[in-house]
Amino acid sequence: MSHSAKSNRLTRSLAAIAVIALASMSVSAFSQQAAKPAEDLPPGAMQAKATTACLECHEARIILQQRLTNAAWTKEVDKMVKWGAVVDGNDRDALIDYLSTNFSPDKGPYEAPRTSIEKGSGK
Amino acid sequence: MSSRRNFLKQMSRAALAVGAAPSVLSWATSAKSGSIDIPGEDGMIVRSFRFVDLETPVEYLNTWLTPIPHFFVRNHMHEPSELNAASWRLMVGGEVETPLTLTLTELSKLETHSVVNTLECAGNGRSLHRPQVPGIQWSKGAVGTARFSGPRLRDVLQRTGVKATGKHVMFRGLDEVPGKVPPFIRSIPIQKALDSDTLIATHMNGAPLTKHHGFPARTLVPGWIGAASCKWLTEIKVLESEFVGNFMNPAYRFPNQAVKPGDAVKPEDTHVVTGLNVKSVISGPLDGASLKAGRVAVHGAAWAGEADIVKVEVSIDGGASWTPAVLGHEQAHYAWRLWSYERKAEGGDYVILSRATDSEGRTQPATAVWNPSGYLYNAVDQVKIHVP
Repeated sequence: MSHSAKSNRLTRSLAAIAVIALASMSVSAFSQQAAKPAEDLPPGAMQAKATTACLECHEARIILQQRLTNAAWTKEVDKMVKWGAVVDGNDRDALIDYLSTNFSPDKGPYEAPRTSIEKGSGK
Repeated sequence: MSSRRNFLKQMSRAALAVGAAPSVLSWATSAKSGSIDIPGEDGMIVRSFRFVDLETPVEYLNTWLTPIPHFFVRNHMHEPSELNAASWRLMVGGEVETPLTLTLTELSKLETHSVVNTLECAGNGRSLHRPQVPGIQWSKGAVGTARFSGPRLRDVLQRTGVKATGKHVMFRGLDEVPGKVPPFIRSIPIQKALDSDTLIATHMNGAPLTKHHGFPARTLVPGWIGAASCKWLTEIKVLESEFVGNFMNPAYRFPNQAVKPGDAVKPEDTHVVTGLNVKSVISGPLDGASLKAGRVAVHGAAWAGEADIVKVEVSIDGGASWTPAVLGHEQAHYAWRLWSYERKAEGGDYVILSRATDSEGRTQPATAVWNPSGYLYNAVDQVKIHVP
């Protein structure tokens, strides 16, 4: 991907975050329970770097729903680096540890949100 | 089928709708508890919001044709940021006598054919495999049935002529690739491409395709995994051999031999996943339901890709005994059969199972065949209910 395409994507992502943040604020008066369109990755030393590396191309839910061993996370991280995720060589092992710790097979199920029920949908 | 004029009118309306549809930027949270507004998508399970992957809750799999707001959505990439019916083109080339470029108007002038097809993501049920495998963690609802309409792919290929060297047909869509991700390009063998039921579909359930389902045109490769049917189609290329790319190998492949769950498999010991498995799903009662004593109605759907369902059996005693369910009247070659079963239940806990058998003699296994990418999960379905 060219630099300008990347910075366009980044600009769009930032705009998306701003709009989503505003949208979240506007509904918070009505409900505290509306699902956030964009989820966050869990806290930890690698949270910021994982957010930059992974969430440029896809959202956090893709990660939050996985339950994988360290070996499987290693494969995923290496595949994603090949596919353009920017991970400093020095951060690779820490990123794999972060994902393996937070999203291991023994963790409970991830509860996915639903889309709203449309009015007059007959359901 | 609607007339051509209606088709074009519908298409231009759909183009307006797509143009006017709120983009990801304006999706807002809903005031409803725990839900997200995605226009046109009704009560769907959000496996991913960016890019969009939506699963149908199992209780919606109770109609022969799945309404579009309840039809699962699987995207590998970002949806095209711009789709314009007027400027859209379909290029047909490769191992053909006369390459061709079609506008949507030209495509709409070809004879329309309809196929009712059960479309299922190869990864449907992935979350149920043990050990767990990476990928979208679909439960049971990455499946739906719709009436797909549009010209036959065969008719377009007859216009270009296919050279004797043309053995596979590749499809490319307009989805947008993030980073250095390989583009979502796959191919199907020429025999399947020339099948009279393989379509360039422009409509689902009589309405123009929505953006999530591939507006303005997608391929429909009936009976095969969803990934064979390319959305936002813009290029058809006839090839001498199978397309070489990530989504043909190593993705969408299945081990030739059963492997120990959790073991790695070499690509050379795998084959491309094509047709769907025999499978049934219970759409009611829901798992964990508490029901009144008396008549308990069990219902669901069963499908088998290119084969036909011949039998669905239900057990309410955890598999000790099985009774045939009643199959629904609505049927079509590539479509699921609805089924139902009723019996009296006294107080107690019940494990209800459903098991389908198809015209090729395949029966759902008690445990699905594990594979590293979690494809084609088709174990006997199960729900537990309590009758107080």
